[in-house]
Amino acid sequence: MTNGADTHCPYCALQCAMTLTTPAALTPASRPGSAPVPEQPAAALLDVAGRDFPTNRGGLCRKGWTSASLLNHPGRVTEPLLKGADGVHRPIGWDEALERITTAVKSTRARHGADAVGVFGGGGLTNEKAYQLGKFARLALGTSRIDYNGRFCMSSAAAAGMRAFGLDRGLPFPLEDLDSASTILMLGSNVAETMPPFVQHLQGARDAGGLIVVDPRRSATAAFTSDGGGLHLQPLPGTDLALLLGLAHVVIHEGLADAGYIAARTAGYDAVVRSVAAYWPERVQSLTGVPAVLIRDTARRLADGSRRGGSYILTGRGVEQHVDGTDTATAAINLSLLLGLPGSARSGYGTLTGQGNGQGGREHGQKADQLPGYRKITDPAARAHMAEVWGVPESLIPGPGLPAVQLLKSLGQPDGVRCLFVHGANVAVSAPDANAVIAGLRSLDFLVVCDFFLSETAAEADLILPVTQWAEEEGTLTNLEGRVLRRRRALAPPPGVRSELWIMTRLAEALDAPSMFSEDPETVFEELRLASSGGLADYSGIDYAMLDRGEAAYWPYPAGSTGTPRLFLDSFAHADGRAVLTPVTPRRRAASASDAADAADRAGKPMTLITGRLMEHYQSGAQTRRVAALAAAQPEARLQIHPAAAAAQGIAEGDVVSISNGRGEVSCRAELSTDIRPETVFLPFHFPELESANRLTEAATDPISGMPEFKFSKVWVKPGAANLRANELQKEGAS
Amino acid sequence: MTERIVVVGFGPVAARLVDELLPAVQSGLAHLTVVGEEAEAAYNRVLVADLGVGRTTASALALSDAAALIADGVDVRLGVRVRRVDRARQQLVLSDGTSPGYDRLVFATGSRPVIPNLTGLNPDPAAPVLPAGVTALRDLRDASVLHAAVAGGKRVVVLGGGVLGLETALAAAEEGATVTVVHNGPHPLGRNIDRGGGAVLAASLRNCGVRVAGNARSTGVEHNAPDGGFSALLLDDGSAIDGDLLVLSCGVRPRTELAEGCGLSTGAGILVDHKLRAHHEPHIFAIGDCAEVRCPEPDCTECRTARGPSGLVGPGWRQAEWLAEYLTLLASGAPDAELLQALPPELPGVVVLKARGMNMAVAGDVSADPWDEEALTAGAVNGRARLQIAQWADPEHGRYVKMTTRAGVLEGLVAVGMPRTGAELVQLFERGAELPADRSLLLRLDGPDQAAAAGAADPERTVCRCAGVSGTKIAAAVTDGCGTVAEVSGATRAGTGCGGCHDDIKGLIEKHFQGAVA
Repeated sequence: MTNGADTHCPYCALQCAMTLTTPAALTPASRPGSAPVPEQPAAALLDVAGRDFPTNRGGLCRKGWTSASLLNHPGRVTEPLLKGADGVHRPIGWDEALERITTAVKSTRARHGADAVGVFGGGGLTNEKAYQLGKFARLALGTSRIDYNGRFCMSSAAAAGMRAFGLDRGLPFPLEDLDSASTILMLGSNVAETMPPFVQHLQGARDAGGLIVVDPRRSATAAFTSDGGGLHLQPLPGTDLALLLGLAHVVIHEGLADAGYIAARTAGYDAVVRSVAAYWPERVQSLTGVPAVLIRDTARRLADGSRRGGSYILTGRGVEQHVDGTDTATAAINLSLLLGLPGSARSGYGTLTGQGNGQGGREHGQKADQLPGYRKITDPAARAHMAEVWGVPESLIPGPGLPAVQLLKSLGQPDGVRCLFVHGANVAVSAPDANAVIAGLRSLDFLVVCDFFLSETAAEADLILPVTQWAEEEGTLTNLEGRVLRRRRALAPPPGVRSELWIMTRLAEALDAPSMFSEDPETVFEELRLASSGGLADYSGIDYAMLDRGEAAYWPYPAGSTGTPRLFLDSFAHADGRAVLTPVTPRRRAASASDAADAADRAGKPMTLITGRLMEHYQSGAQTRRVAALAAAQPEARLQIHPAAAAAQGIAEGDVVSISNGRGEVSCRAELSTDIRPETVFLPFHFPELESANRLTEAATDPISGMPEFKFSKVWVKPGAANLRANELQKEGAS
Repeated sequence: MTERIVVVGFGPVAARLVDELLPAVQSGLAHLTVVGEEAEAAYNRVLVADLGVGRTTASALALSDAAALIADGVDVRLGVRVRRVDRARQQLVLSDGTSPGYDRLVFATGSRPVIPNLTGLNPDPAAPVLPAGVTALRDLRDASVLHAAVAGGKRVVVLGGGVLGLETALAAAEEGATVTVVHNGPHPLGRNIDRGGGAVLAASLRNCGVRVAGNARSTGVEHNAPDGGFSALLLDDGSAIDGDLLVLSCGVRPRTELAEGCGLSTGAGILVDHKLRAHHEPHIFAIGDCAEVRCPEPDCTECRTARGPSGLVGPGWRQAEWLAEYLTLLASGAPDAELLQALPPELPGVVVLKARGMNMAVAGDVSADPWDEEALTAGAVNGRARLQIAQWADPEHGRYVKMTTRAGVLEGLVAVGMPRTGAELVQLFERGAELPADRSLLLRLDGPDQAAAAGAADPERTVCRCAGVSGTKIAAAVTDGCGTVAEVSGATRAGTGCGGCHDDIKGLIEKHFQGAVA
């Protein structure tokens, strides 16, 4: 069989187009298994090449180039693994695996009710898997307890987009539209590290001197603003909302607002005017540390750009992953509406989706409060529609469940989840207050994890199910523009590996589930089309054949239409067609109990910890830490700290430091850099155990979106190794 | 039971209090009445000067919407004065003839402009009737007087070298008016800034087109305009400064007469304890410009560093937020209301000049100089770390910075003409954070962009970050025959991600071939 396919990268939402081919002289790989790591990694089974496509234009980053090395990685899980009484995972057959799951589900359900079984999904799953997973949870397991890791990612921007526009598609325009922009304001997004080929689309704005990057760090993206490329605004962490209110203040008070647009296309203007009246630039300077002169300059450049090549405002996780993330994204949208950007031909607002299928994954029923097609689970019409598509009585569809953080907090609790399925997520590393999450996983009656590696979450599982990787499967993903893309199979998976569609189908049979489940992606997609029909994210006019012809399919794509590359050109998705301006202002932050206890106990002043990504790694690093070239480039977490702050603590470059608070402690080397503000430190979140940044983050959440506070944690930084004793005690307590 | 809360005054601080109390009103915990003397609901006074020079609109200044508040269940009385407070009956007597009762009464009466003692002006603070061509700058009517003068190209004389005076002068000058600032003392902002900063500030003002008359003692106003209005400000040396409009900017004074009238203790303002309660009167509170936080017990540690009203709006807003939480707890009958942590004492005020053409921030005590005896003495002084002063002056270019620290923490700062440095210093001051030992790091914030990576010449340097390719590898590919960026990309993957290094790759190719030619 000839291997090879035109497909897209397995990692982020840019979904760079790539072509996979069989190497000319392929040396047979050592048989995949859980053998110890050999001296030399096996030769890759596939060659990776960038493919010309409007988003990546043939470019790939290092993650994409090396992605094929995981297909025959010696650490890959290729058989179901059951944890023995001694804590060691040993291979079992698929029949036994499915039977044990069925027994566990039935027993938990019988003793504690259907909601004691939970599902945690992922934004990397294909549309087909995400759709069928939601259906599996609600119909086969009968539980309302399903949510996914996109709650840690897109939920704030999604909630803000729904509130303002009545619809949430990350970029409501094709990415290429950015090429001709005069001004681009990027808030809390570091695309130069997270999705490097994206940077090509910023060149026009850089040439016009109009790239404005808001980041507490001089990130690789912020560095693009030097030499006349634009401006870098470096606010204190946690003050983005005040900064945005200051920008809106200038727009209103300097007469830069688009009065005609506001009158014709928006509602709520007066209340927003009142809400920003108290945020004049000099006051905002005091709140944020951003000089008033730069606040005025930024507002003027945005207004000026909208009258020339176009102005765009883009938000990323840096401003969204906060307890006021929804309000902050709303403030960014308000600013864009005051300037008349959304829904105009050459300007706009967008949020940069992170995970590979972070867009599609949030549309088709993985969210606790949603049904496929971006339908609300509480909406009677939506429930009736889904009951009809699924051929079940409406009463069989459970109501809303718990958002991710609350779902994870409920693990093992009375009335909480006692049996959990995890698909495409590594919550032991990626969820806030990771130590508490790990304790929750250990308190479960039964934990099933679908993965291709022994991730930190899989290591906690009673049963690990090996599943296919991207190059071994068919399906669709929806990229950050809302364009539906085909993932294609380039080679057969190892013999013991199954697709998640197959697993769900077998389990649904064993559990006597109503309706239909299928292991064939196209069959599932055909049902997804019907399910999404008439919803906000309508895919009913899209099919595999059309995608295979290379057609650019942007949702909403109702049957009989030609799709929607640009949203909102004529009207917004609210009933009256207007966008809604919602006044938002910073709330007083109540100090958490543990922070207050810490402050009383500890000597010295705390620093502010922010977290983020390295170019070489993706998410929890479960995949990229296993790629030799990437691991060699970034083998460990490093704490970025300003030399002045480091000097005050007697910390030198490369010293081991302890970063701690009441929730946990991290130990890693220090990296001194003037790119960060002196009161702030930065940790990448790709690393586990003693280097796991999320041991320090707090599981406090945004009241609207359920987004946790990832980027504003109080920590104490000290030279020297971590207090290992605390961690040992934790382990003892758990075992 | 529903608690009756009455707020006297409807300025920015009252507006914040009302907003924060709304949830209690909507849930039925509280019945809220707000009484405002002006016809408008609260608006942002900080921007009155901007409105006066035509830079913004009255509607953009609005902080509250009376109709929306009424719809939410708030009893809003606009254009209504409080005649007196009857503490015995816990009720107010209003100019609209009603007498609403209260369980909690909050004074947010703010302050009024000081009318200087000049011949030709009536100094009665209770009945400030100013002659034609003379105005303070406090409310919307004052703004419209200034606006007429600026729009008409008139000559404006600003009396007072405080922040508000300077901001008004700068804004009016930038909008085309002829403006003279008259102040006593050697330099403007005399209460806040040191000599060096003041000198650079005065020079910067002149550069912005503002005339500055320093060391001037004014004695009277002359009314020789054709309409009998203002024509000149007279000084004690016998000279006169001619103009068409005199803007009085001589500070403000807390409005305490209503509180005094009902027997409450007052100092500079209405005296309240650190829970903002009037002395010996648990039903009455005061916040904002009219309030002076100082406990009746002289040894109260919470009030150790208390000061009079600051005239800044920030502290008032913080008081409003805190008091709303406290009143809500009281109204809900929560037993732990008294456990609510008191507001931390305010730091000395930070003054950031609100202007477009120039930039200045000043805070804390900046009187000490680098060569003062204390700063030069080794070791601690009286058990305290000694003052350390770092200073940098470039008057020619309008730049000046002073950092006064104790144990590395700012006690005062001045930054003129240094926007990024100023913003950072204000942050450090407000957080009480330690400065870097090398203070010049802060000055560099206003330098040009950092030069490109120092190691640019290092061949081992990573040229393509996306693919992780070093200069050495690229050079080797060129030596092996790659002559274009595309060929180098094909051989090494350099330049295949974001494309940002294409110029660097080109440079390496050119360097190779130049070497070959030479």
